[in-house]
Amino acid sequence: MDELELLKSKWQSQEQKFPKLTFNDIYKMLLKKSSSIVKWIFYISIGELLFWATLSFLVPDSTQDFVTEMGLDTIFLVINIIHYCVFAFFIFLFWKNHKKIQTTDSVGTLMNNILKTRQTVKYFVIYNIGTTILLMIGVNIFYYVNGDALAAAVKHNTHQYDAIPPELFLEKFLLLNIIGGAIMLALVLLFYFLVYGFLLKRLKRNYKELQKMEM
Amino acid sequence: MNKELEHKFVTELESNQNIVHKICRLYTNDRDAHNDLFQEITIQLWRAYPKFRGDSKFSTWMYRVALNTAITLYRKSKRRVQTQDFEGVSFKISSEDYDDTIEEQLKLMYAAVKDLNDIDKALVFLYLEDKNYKEISETLGISEVNSRVKMNRIKGKLRKVLNP
Repeated sequence: MDELELLKSKWQSQEQKFPKLTFNDIYKMLLKKSSSIVKWIFYISIGELLFWATLSFLVPDSTQDFVTEMGLDTIFLVINIIHYCVFAFFIFLFWKNHKKIQTTDSVGTLMNNILKTRQTVKYFVIYNIGTTILLMIGVNIFYYVNGDALAAAVKHNTHQYDAIPPELFLEKFLLLNIIGGAIMLALVLLFYFLVYGFLLKRLKRNYKELQKMEM
Repeated sequence: MNKELEHKFVTELESNQNIVHKICRLYTNDRDAHNDLFQEITIQLWRAYPKFRGDSKFSTWMYRVALNTAITLYRKSKRRVQTQDFEGVSFKISSEDYDDTIEEQLKLMYAAVKDLNDIDKALVFLYLEDKNYKEISETLGISEVNSRVKMNRIKGKLRKVLNP
């Protein structure tokens, strides 16, 4: 196998042809982890949007009829459209952050971008939790004020509450609604805490390492 | 994360970076892919570094992790279009034995090695790095006998490719 031996004999002499990476070049590669974290934030936010969108298709007809009867359908539609627009805007911001971090080559800008990403995620979480709470409060106040219409609408669309005496109906309904809402909110909070909290923590760690490097 | 450990790691990788470059060049076809693989190997090495106890040489350990990374990554991207370019592959040939045919032969051989499957390529790579069969078998996690047998088969394959 002469050719292989020939290649072997010349093998070592190809070395000077390679790019010479400096200590800092390699060090920065370790920090590129930031880029993949931001990528995950982007993907998860898309997944979340898809999740909520799918969920809204699964709403049973009776609930839909109930909402219509209460005269809430138009306002819900408007709220939904605004909400999805804002959501899409956040996804766009995440995507922009991701693209930016990918192409950064100086430590200073990378640090700036990490800070910006953390900020965006925080706003995103605050927005989501805030609107959920506001919407819950608003809807329940509306139900409370329109107690009679509510009782009628519920009677038309479901028989689950038939056993409850009419005078106790409003209290029970609102109580269930609030408990259900609170559980839901707790789950969403837990999700944000686990997923985004974890990712943000890692970003922060990277940031601190970068900080040390800058000094 | 331990600052000292990090510093030690980067310094060692810096002085051994040619090993990684050679693997990258063998397993990828363009500069972008080369850089991607280099970065991936760096991250994998760093992840595995706390488990590196220093009972073998840093470079020996590096061969193992780097080749594993190249092989798994290569497997994932196997269905990508394979382009053969010889850009950047050139060997220093001293002027007294300079000869177009040698240059040509080297390129053909290199191309043939590049065309091997991922595992065979790793074996040939270690062979070209002048590792003995004991070292090759330890790095790749196969028996010494097995690596000899494999190497002979690969030589046969290469012979067939070059002299059809």
